[in-house]
Amino acid sequence: MSEKIIQTENLVKRFPVGDGEFTALDDINLSFDKGEFAGIVGPSGSGKTTLLNIIGSLDSPSQGTATVMGKRISSLSHKEAAQLRNLHIGFIFQVYNLLPVYTVYENVEFVLLLQNRSAAERKKAVMEALEWVGIENLAHKKPSKLSGGEGQRVAIARAMVKRPELVLADEPTANLDAKNAHAILQTMKKLNEELKTTFLFSTHDEKVMAYMNRLIHLEDGKVAKDELVQAKTV
Amino acid sequence: MKLAIHLAYKNLMGAGLRTWLNAGVLSFAFVFIIFYNGLIDGWNKQASIDSIHWEFGNGQLLHGAYDASNPFSIPDGHGILPKSAQANLTPILIRQATIYPQGRMMSVHLKGIDENQSVLKLPTHLLKKSTANIPVIMGTRMANTTNTRVGDEMLVRWRDNNGTYDATNVTVVGIFETNVPNVDVGQLWMSIDKLWEITNLGQHATMFIANEHYVHQNIPGWRFENQAYLLRELTEIINMKKTSGAILYILLLTLGLLAIFDTQVLSIFRRQKEIGTYIALGMTRWQVVRMFTAEGGMYSIFATILGALYGIPLLAYFSKTGIGFEITGDEFGIVMAERMYPVYGLRLIFGTLLLVVLSATIVSFLPARKISQMNPVEALKGKLQ
Repeated sequence: MSEKIIQTENLVKRFPVGDGEFTALDDINLSFDKGEFAGIVGPSGSGKTTLLNIIGSLDSPSQGTATVMGKRISSLSHKEAAQLRNLHIGFIFQVYNLLPVYTVYENVEFVLLLQNRSAAERKKAVMEALEWVGIENLAHKKPSKLSGGEGQRVAIARAMVKRPELVLADEPTANLDAKNAHAILQTMKKLNEELKTTFLFSTHDEKVMAYMNRLIHLEDGKVAKDELVQAKTV
Repeated sequence: MKLAIHLAYKNLMGAGLRTWLNAGVLSFAFVFIIFYNGLIDGWNKQASIDSIHWEFGNGQLLHGAYDASNPFSIPDGHGILPKSAQANLTPILIRQATIYPQGRMMSVHLKGIDENQSVLKLPTHLLKKSTANIPVIMGTRMANTTNTRVGDEMLVRWRDNNGTYDATNVTVVGIFETNVPNVDVGQLWMSIDKLWEITNLGQHATMFIANEHYVHQNIPGWRFENQAYLLRELTEIINMKKTSGAILYILLLTLGLLAIFDTQVLSIFRRQKEIGTYIALGMTRWQVVRMFTAEGGMYSIFATILGALYGIPLLAYFSKTGIGFEITGDEFGIVMAERMYPVYGLRLIFGTLLLVVLSATIVSFLPARKISQMNPVEALKGKLQ
């Protein structure tokens, strides 16, 4: 029996807008198994990022539940949510969000510092992560000296270095050209297959969708379609 | 906290010139506070030592009718102290007189002192070895006012114990230099034996200067003022100077702290995405607050290092060579050397260090607290909150 890593039940998220409210997610019922490589797709404003933020415990539902690795998001304290993200969830952002004053090595090492890992452990894990994404030669460069593709690889290495169960990637190829986008997706697909890490993407990019095993279509905050698809192989 | 300090250090080092500009401003305030307080402490120390060596000794035993701040108390403010009570005391008799240097008339105090004394730094040995009829010594200020040189004679007129005027020429046998105007301005020092002789006030004294072996016992008609009491006015003036100086260095410190506060406020606005990223990567909001606070506190550590780099040689130089002042304290009647040597105590240095570190940390914490209320999703988008 497959292990459920994410489960949402009647999930609703509303935001205050002026005097009223805007419903970003409406009655979302989804579950994801360990090792999935799935995409939440839909146009801008359909609620993809909001759903990812709730699953990543950066936000909480207005109604319903979201359970990630057995933890109910709405009942987590700030500290518990931080611990969940620190130990189990990796984030990849559209604009990479690398820490500008740190080198590539330090950016990747950062999450391990939060886990109080020893220097030797950190070094081994960071170098391994940089090798996975093929940028070990950039270890001492600052983010400002990297190309878009290199920056996103650093973000992937940072997300993967702690070997999380779940990686949430928000439009990870939006700022990349086609060649780099494919390279990045292939890297992530490879990591998914080798490490059995669950990848959950939010995207409206056809190139990204081509790599997914499952696509959840969101429209106006509702699940319009949830389909298993034949993914492109690496 | 270790992690916060580690990350704060990396962030500040990564920020480069901005960090060192803030640290530079703060270090200036830090060095100035130590310098200014050191100067005041140096003045205090020097003035106290000079006052003790030239005027107060280990305390003064004053005739009950004599009040140092009231010249009208001089005529009657004297008496005879029993010989048995005079151990470790040097007598001084003060009389009012008039001198006529180069035909001008000037009121002075004639001060008779034991020429064998060693409790005060006054060069009374010059009185002893002189063959002049009535040898006197005076300070440089008095000599300048009267345009007198060693060897000059001048006419002195005084009244004896019966109120009868008498006058004679005195010879200036020594001019001494002192920072204490109270023993210089308007005063002629002579042997107490001579003063007793010309005033018919044998064995009378206005006051006695105590040496370090003196142990006071109550003597009717006389009152003892100890060193601390005699130095109180000086201490008050110096404390007042310290307070007015504090206003200046609080302003300087405020400027330094404002630079940090400003940097922190700007940082929190400008680095919202970074803050959001920290939280997304697994830091708690309070960990981020601690990191930003540590960044601010660390400015003060950098300021200390920077301040030490240029401050130690600079302060050591001034401590060795002193600082010359165009004005002296003569006009205000206070003890003030022409060159002052700052004194830097450990208490001053560590007290200032603590003040700078604490205040820098507090002004960093105030804007950093805002992070604890931030929505990480909005922060990740870089939206102002």
